[in-house]
Amino acid sequence: MANTIIGSSIVIDGEISGDEDLVIQGTVKGKISLKESLFVEASGVVEADIDTQNVEIAGRVTGNIAASDKVELKSDCRVVGDIKAPRILIADGASFKGNVDMDVKER
Amino acid sequence: MASEQINIIGKGITIRGSLSGGGDLVIEGHVEGQVALKNHLTIEQSGTVEADIKADELTINGEASGNIEANSRVAINNTAKVHGDVKAPRVVIEDGAVFNGSIEMDVKLPDDI
Repeated sequence: MANTIIGSSIVIDGEISGDEDLVIQGTVKGKISLKESLFVEASGVVEADIDTQNVEIAGRVTGNIAASDKVELKSDCRVVGDIKAPRILIADGASFKGNVDMDVKER
Repeated sequence: MASEQINIIGKGITIRGSLSGGGDLVIEGHVEGQVALKNHLTIEQSGTVEADIKADELTINGEASGNIEANSRVAINNTAKVHGDVKAPRVVIEDGAVFNGSIEMDVKLPDDI
């Protein structure tokens, strides 16, 4: 279970970095760089460039996303920005606008 | 999870910038910048905060540097290291705590002084 929870009443404007899982239920603007997983829950609003290993988004994200492993857009999420990751999953019902780069070396 | 919201900034997390909002907050990691909270802020022993802090109530077990303002109470416990000015109606400093700075307990002076 993730250690760090940014609750729905919290607003952060700036830079978040670290090496453990992060759950966002509130609002974050700026930049997020993690070595582990980021979870943006349904109440979460993120206006930031994201650089992590895994991202799961059920809320709203505006910004470019780069993941070293996987990006998962759950249903009812709203994401605007470019995504770069080896594995990208988009669930039925998700809203997404932007480019997808799966970084496949062949071709 | 309890109905009362508790936010945790874990040990491996660093935040640079401003952090604001309601709900109780526990900082075990590192925060630089500004913290403005409507409820209770706890800085745990592993937590380091280099920020101007505003909160309703503040408990410090870790390290804090910056100006601190609380509406009700500031508790600087025996493991804490605090540098900065503290402004609150009630300030508690435990034996063993390290504190450098000024304390203003918000004593109301008559207007004609």
